[in-house]
Amino acid sequence: MEPSLLPIEILEARQDFPKALEACKDLDALMRLKGAFVGREGSHAARMMEILKAAPKEQKRELGGAINTLKNGWEEAIKARQAELEDARKRAAALGKAWDPDLPPPMPPQGSLHPLNRIIDRLVDVFRPLGYHVEEGPEIETEAHNFDGLNIPADHPARSSADTFYLEKYPELLLRTHTSPMEVRTLLRVAPQIEKKGGIRFLAPGRVYRKDEIDPTHSPMFHQVEGMLVGHGIGMHHLKGTLAYAMKALFGPDADVRFRPSYFPFVEPGCEVDVRCPLCGGSGCRVCKQSGWVELLGAGLTHPNVLAYAGIDPNVWSGFAFGMGVERIAMMVSETPDLRFFFENDQRFLKTMGGLN
Amino acid sequence: MLIETKALRKELPALKRVGTKELCELLASLGFPVDAVDENDGSTVLDVDVTANRGDVLSHRGLARDIAARLGEAMAPLAVKVLAEGEALRPVRLESPACPLYATAVLELGKAQGTPAEARELLAHMGANAKDLPPVDASNEILHRIGHPTHAFDADTIHGALIVRWARVGEKVVTLDEVERTLTAQDLVIADEEGAIALAGVMGGNSTKVTPATRRVLLESAYFDPRTIRATAQRHNLHTDASLRFGRGADPGMAMTARDMLVQRLEDWAGGRLVGAWTAGSVPPPAQVVRISGEVMSRVAGETIPVEEAATLLERVGCRVESEPEGLRVVPPSWRHDLGIVDDVAEEVLRLRGYERIPSALPPLEGSPEPLSRDYLKRRRIAALLAHLGFCQAVTFGFVDPGEDSPHGDDPAFRRLKNPLGEEYSLMRGTLLRDLRDAAATNLDRGAREVRLFEMAPVFISRPQDSAAPVEERWTLGLVWAGEAGGEDPLTPVRKIAAPEGKSYLIGILKALSVPEQVIRDFDRWTLSGVVGGAQGHLGWQFEVPLDAIPDPPERVIPTFTSFSRLPSVARDLSLLVGLDQGYLPLVEAMTAAARTAAGESFQDLRCVDVFRHKSLPEGRQAWLFRLRFQNPSRTLTGEEVDQWVAAVLDAAKSLGAGLRG
Repeated sequence: MEPSLLPIEILEARQDFPKALEACKDLDALMRLKGAFVGREGSHAARMMEILKAAPKEQKRELGGAINTLKNGWEEAIKARQAELEDARKRAAALGKAWDPDLPPPMPPQGSLHPLNRIIDRLVDVFRPLGYHVEEGPEIETEAHNFDGLNIPADHPARSSADTFYLEKYPELLLRTHTSPMEVRTLLRVAPQIEKKGGIRFLAPGRVYRKDEIDPTHSPMFHQVEGMLVGHGIGMHHLKGTLAYAMKALFGPDADVRFRPSYFPFVEPGCEVDVRCPLCGGSGCRVCKQSGWVELLGAGLTHPNVLAYAGIDPNVWSGFAFGMGVERIAMMVSETPDLRFFFENDQRFLKTMGGLN
Repeated sequence: MLIETKALRKELPALKRVGTKELCELLASLGFPVDAVDENDGSTVLDVDVTANRGDVLSHRGLARDIAARLGEAMAPLAVKVLAEGEALRPVRLESPACPLYATAVLELGKAQGTPAEARELLAHMGANAKDLPPVDASNEILHRIGHPTHAFDADTIHGALIVRWARVGEKVVTLDEVERTLTAQDLVIADEEGAIALAGVMGGNSTKVTPATRRVLLESAYFDPRTIRATAQRHNLHTDASLRFGRGADPGMAMTARDMLVQRLEDWAGGRLVGAWTAGSVPPPAQVVRISGEVMSRVAGETIPVEEAATLLERVGCRVESEPEGLRVVPPSWRHDLGIVDDVAEEVLRLRGYERIPSALPPLEGSPEPLSRDYLKRRRIAALLAHLGFCQAVTFGFVDPGEDSPHGDDPAFRRLKNPLGEEYSLMRGTLLRDLRDAAATNLDRGAREVRLFEMAPVFISRPQDSAAPVEERWTLGLVWAGEAGGEDPLTPVRKIAAPEGKSYLIGILKALSVPEQVIRDFDRWTLSGVVGGAQGHLGWQFEVPLDAIPDPPERVIPTFTSFSRLPSVARDLSLLVGLDQGYLPLVEAMTAAARTAAGESFQDLRCVDVFRHKSLPEGRQAWLFRLRFQNPSRTLTGEEVDQWVAAVLDAAKSLGAGLRG
């Protein structure tokens, strides 16, 4: 092309175009640029068409070619830039709607079951396959259920008001000191149909009260789970088999139980049951005081007087019973240093110890 | 009970080969776990836990005897010179059956040599320092060594005959601890002709005690009825070394032996000269005979135990055993008051064999198991649901301070404890909310932003007119929700639970628990009053409902099938201007009734989905956005009919003063 055929301002425009195009950072600017270069009126392209119209005939062919090339070049470049800018705008719009899922998510509120209830429910689940159901009874008990029916003599120190809470207006009513009165209540209930039922087996979880001041290892209220089975020909081996099963279910297949002779008025023979320390597996640790065993519960064969009190013939029926302190198990397995945490209801404790099942 | 290993080994020489750790394990396997081991100056003292039924092991010789039976080893012979008894120097009258045997002796004391070092050391290890009064120290030393309590009186302070009798009501005696005790007719006393001089089996009297000036002593070594001694010790809250041993049952066969040992020590330690020894009464007949069959023994043990093996073990603990066709005839020794029935004897055999030898087996299932109770399952279901809804389960005590508001309108006096730990724990509670509110406040005080707690426990309601159950226990669910929620992530705005609208959040939870609408409406203790954890006057919302008011899920595992429409449902929004004092329930009930009348089975649901309050609205008015849904089970709805139904609903709203928002 012959540059001299075009006026100086067009030549300058041709030179400036790439920079101007580059400077268009949005579609509005680009549209203004488009108007200035290739618009219908007043643009460089319109000006060139006027020049072409006025050009001498012999120059028209050459000049027309040059103008077309220049104009098409501009149009294509603008179109390409427009596509680019439109893409950018879409991308920006999409980003505005995007969300970084790594931002802190809204969490469902975290609740929890109380660790003591979790242990009780777990024990119910552990004993359920053996046919145990749940028996529950009142916290305010009679002396008859709490003591008499359990072969606890009238002068036993546990009956004194130094150890047991009594009601002011009802001298015979007390706050049960253990869950064992559920043995008496349940035996009295099933005695008339015990032949038909073929015995009884149950767990009795619940809250019990003893007159202890509150300190890191004592509380005037705590939880026990009582277990009882009455059938034919029940012996100490059945108690051992049952508790060995339960401890394995609770603490894992390596759990083992050890019986030591002990004494409770409502069982004979009586025993303390130790479980191989679930924390160290028996090698010795702080929790088991290096002995490899932790004391877990008291148990024994049901005393014939307990069966007889409920009207069940101890010459025909025999049984066993065991009772465990829920807080004791909870403190042991969790290494919680202070019993009071379980009754303080601080959510930080409840949430870390609680869980949902 | 404290046990000095040196003194124990003296009674059972075979223990010289047994180390302390092994000894502790041996004791635990016999039923006497060691609570603590104190090793000092070359001596070892064990704190041995003895069960309440075993009075016979409360001494070094007694415990050694039990170990000897387990090991099958021989005891060291008892070093005692048997005294020849003579005429009674002073009448001893046993007027109560609670004292069948009273051995005594009188000595004149000479020049005291003092209590020997070995006895002093033993007493120190027992936590009872030597008094340097040989009669007292010797009596104490014998108690710890062989377990039989004895007592020495200053013989010159006793007037006339010695009488063991029931106290007279109101009779007084000053015991060795210098406390004047007023006696009852159930207290057994040692008396002279002027009155009581000692509380039998529990503590001597101050007026007849041995002093450095004492020249003549009268020794007492008796047997007292355990029940009587336990009752007296308890009545006077006077628990002594003697009352512990007599209370669990001493060995009547040891009474004379202990006296002889005491005389011998006073001869050696205090230049004593025996004036005379005599005994009133006699050793009570041996305990009853127990007949045990091989069958019972095998049942208890879980395996067959040869009768001969059982007989050998029982003989080792001092039983007289004879074989009978059915099994064994066992006469327990005079020191074993715990062997009264077949089961006791079976336990004894197992104990001596070692509980570790008991086999292990699961008992067979004899009948059908019972289902888990509905109440237990309901509580478990509700607890799980609430935990998943963000509530933490709390456990609080059953007693509160008497400032409770008594929501059941009963008389709290009938729920009071006679002997509470303190006034703040004196009332069996009638509501869970006091404790829950306190727990919520504590959490907020400690910086928690939000507290959600629930508890399920019985509350107590007095029914004094119902003699069979004067205090009802009603299982109750209590909930508290306080503070502010949300605001912990970019998507959840802050919700102030403590604000008026916070009540809606709690009601939503109650509806999720299927608490009946009426129970929610009737509840009248919604707010938590008190200013805690900030400037707000209320810290949140609370609710309490008896568990029996919450319906059980239906019996069937899954409900009966009900058909639902697959045709599209139509939703229309209606923005109403209502007064700021407009109640929601009357309005929504009127609108629902109109919708039901107009659309019949096509009406589905109608509810307020937004509340808008702004100064741009007419003064005294707010905008409630209602969403109405319609669906027909069998045909697609037309726009025209839905328009008509919406118009009918709008008319109903207008009749209550609402207007369409322009």
